[in-house]
Amino acid sequence: MAVVETEGLKKYFDDVHAVDGVDLAIQEGELLVILGPSGCGKTTLMRMIAGLEKPTAGEISIGGEQVTQLPPRDRKIGMVFQSYALYPHMTVFDNIAFPLRSEGVFTKEEIKSKVEWAVGILGIQLLLKRRPRQLSGGERQRVALARALVKEPRVLLLDEPLSNLDAKLRASARDELQRFQRRLGITTIFVTHDQIEAMGMGDRIAVMYAGKVRQIGTPLEIYHDSEDTFVATFLGSPGMNLVDYGDYILGFRPENFHPHDGAEVPPGNRVFDFSVERVEYLGADRLVYGMINEASEETLVVAKLPTTVKTSVEPGQQYPFALDVGDLHYFDKETGRRTTPVEQR
Amino acid sequence: MATTASVERGTMARAGGRLADREGALGMLFLAPSVIYIVALVGFPFVLAILFSFSDVTVGDTSLDFVGLRNFRSILASPQFVRGLQDSFVFTIISQILIIALANVLAVVMAENFRGKWLARMLVILPWATPIALGTLGWLWLLDSKFSPFDWILQQVGILGPGGLFGPRLHMNFLGREYLAMASAIVVYVWRTLPLSTVILMAGLTSIPQDIVDQAQVDGASYLRTHLRVKIPMIYPILIIALLFGVIFTFTDMVVIYVLTRGGPVYYTHVVPTWAYIKGIQGGALSEGAAVALFLFPVLLGVAMLLLRVARRMEIS
Repeated sequence: MAVVETEGLKKYFDDVHAVDGVDLAIQEGELLVILGPSGCGKTTLMRMIAGLEKPTAGEISIGGEQVTQLPPRDRKIGMVFQSYALYPHMTVFDNIAFPLRSEGVFTKEEIKSKVEWAVGILGIQLLLKRRPRQLSGGERQRVALARALVKEPRVLLLDEPLSNLDAKLRASARDELQRFQRRLGITTIFVTHDQIEAMGMGDRIAVMYAGKVRQIGTPLEIYHDSEDTFVATFLGSPGMNLVDYGDYILGFRPENFHPHDGAEVPPGNRVFDFSVERVEYLGADRLVYGMINEASEETLVVAKLPTTVKTSVEPGQQYPFALDVGDLHYFDKETGRRTTPVEQR
Repeated sequence: MATTASVERGTMARAGGRLADREGALGMLFLAPSVIYIVALVGFPFVLAILFSFSDVTVGDTSLDFVGLRNFRSILASPQFVRGLQDSFVFTIISQILIIALANVLAVVMAENFRGKWLARMLVILPWATPIALGTLGWLWLLDSKFSPFDWILQQVGILGPGGLFGPRLHMNFLGREYLAMASAIVVYVWRTLPLSTVILMAGLTSIPQDIVDQAQVDGASYLRTHLRVKIPMIYPILIIALLFGVIFTFTDMVVIYVLTRGGPVYYTHVVPTWAYIKGIQGGALSEGAAVALFLFPVLLGVAMLLLRVARRMEIS
C-alpha cells in the first residue's frame, strides 16, 4: 500500500509553475529520492507533502488519509531541513522533546523514555545536555534526525540533509543514513540535487525537471533506460553523449565509448573516428573530450576511460573508438523521449 | 639591489606621508567629533552637576561652597521628591511592561503579509515620528477636563452622567485626579514609545530563519507556542536591549509629564526629572536640582549593567 500519494499536485507562484502536476506513490518502507537540479520544484514538492505550502491544485494523502487541507502537525510526518533547524536556545534533550511537548499529551516519564529511545537509535546519548552550537555538523544531523523520529512518524522527509556536511563526512553519513533507514524500515522521501547520493541511497528515484517528474524508477532503470534526453544527460558524470542522427538523437554513455585496438571489429560494435581535443586525468579515470563525425556533422562527445585501459590518447590525434550498439539509446528529435531503435548496424 | 631597496623605501615614505593611509591618525580624526561632543555636552555638565550637588550654588549666588551631603539630606526629607522617586519607578515599570507586551503583539502583526501593510507600518511609526511636544499637546486636548472627546463618548454610552458607572459626574477629569493623571501619562507615554520597541522587535523576529519557524510547525507547535517557546527566546538578547533603552528613556523623560500635567495635580505626577527641573531651573536652587538629577544616575547605571550582562549570557551563536 502506498504510504504517501500525490495526485495532480500543482503549485504556481504567480506565473511560475514550481510544481506542475506531480503524481507519486511512495510504498511502505521505501526510500524514494527526488532528484533534480536547483529550481526544479523538488523542495516545493516536499514542502507541500509536509504541509508547509498549500497546493494550487491536486491531492495529497498520507497513510490512506486525505491530508491536503491539514496543517503539518496533523500529518504524522517528521522532517529534517537542510540547515537542520535546531532550536539554538534549547539543549539537545529539549530539541528532541519539543515535538512531544507540543502534543501536550505525554507525561514527563513518557517524554523521557521516548527521547531516550530516539537518541539510542542514533547513538547520541552523550550529547543530551549540550546546545546546538557545541555540536559538529554530523552530530547536529543526528539530533535533527532524532527529533524527526521521536513521534514515530508515518513518513520521514529529508531535504538535502547531507549537503551541509563536508565531502569526506558526506560519504559515511550517506552510508549510515541508508543503513539506519533500512533498519527502522521507515518510509522516507529524500530530496537532493546530488545524483551520487540519489543513485547510492534510493530504492527508487524520481527525476524532476521544470516542475514535472520526468522519470521514476530504480537507480539502474533510470541510468540505463533513461526516458528522455534530460534524464540521460542529468545522470552520470559526465552525462550521456547526444549525437544528432537524422530524425533521431543518438545517445551513449561516456564509459561505453572506448579505444578500438585496430583489430577486427567485434560483431555488434560500431567504430567512430574520434578526434581528441583534450584529456583530463581524474585519478581513477581519464576523461577524453573530442569530436566525432556522424551524418556529416561534427559533435563534441566525451569518453571515460578507467585506468585499466592503458592505450595512449593524445590531444590533436585521431583514434578509432568503438561502441557496442546494445549501449546505444535512441531519442525522438522533436520530443526528446526515448524511442525504439530504427536499425541495428 | 640597492636601487630596488631605495625605491621601496621611497614608496613607503610617500604612503606614510598621506593621511588617508595612516590608520592611527585617521582613526583619531574620525573619533574626534564624537569625543568632543561627549566631553562638551555630556562629560562637562555631568562633572558640573556632581560639583553643584555638593555645594550651595543657586542662580543668585554662583560661588561654589562645599556643603557635603546637605543637599541630598534635604531633598530626601521633602515629600515631593520621595513621591517623585516612587512615581518614577511606577511610571517606568508599568509603561515598560505595557510596551513590551504590546510591542510583541504589534511586531507579530506587522511581520505578517497583508494588504495595506505599508500603510499600517507607517501608522505604527507615526507617534514616534511626531515631535513629542506636538503629540502630547494633542493628548492634552483629548484628555481635557471639559472638552475631552473620551468624556463625550463615555457620556454617549452611558458610563458617565446620571445613572452611569461613576455617579452623576459628566467628566472624568483625566489629568486632574491623583491616580488617573498618572495612568493617563503612562498611556500617552506608551503611545509615544511603542513604535521604537515594535520596530526593534520586528527586526529581531524577521531575523529568525524561516527553517526554524517551519520546523516548529512540523514539530506540531501551535502559533502561540512557536512564538513563546521558539521565537521570543531566540530574540531575548534583542528584547533585553529594547528594554534597556526603554528603561533609560522612560526614567529620564520629562516632556510627556511636563506638558500634560506639570507634575500636578498638587505634586502627584512628578517624576524625578520634572522635579529636578522645577527645583533647579524654575526654582533656581541649582545645587538641589543637581542632587535630584544625580539620584537617577546610580539607578540607571545598575540597570544598564544588569541588563547587558543578562543579554550577553543569553546570546546565541
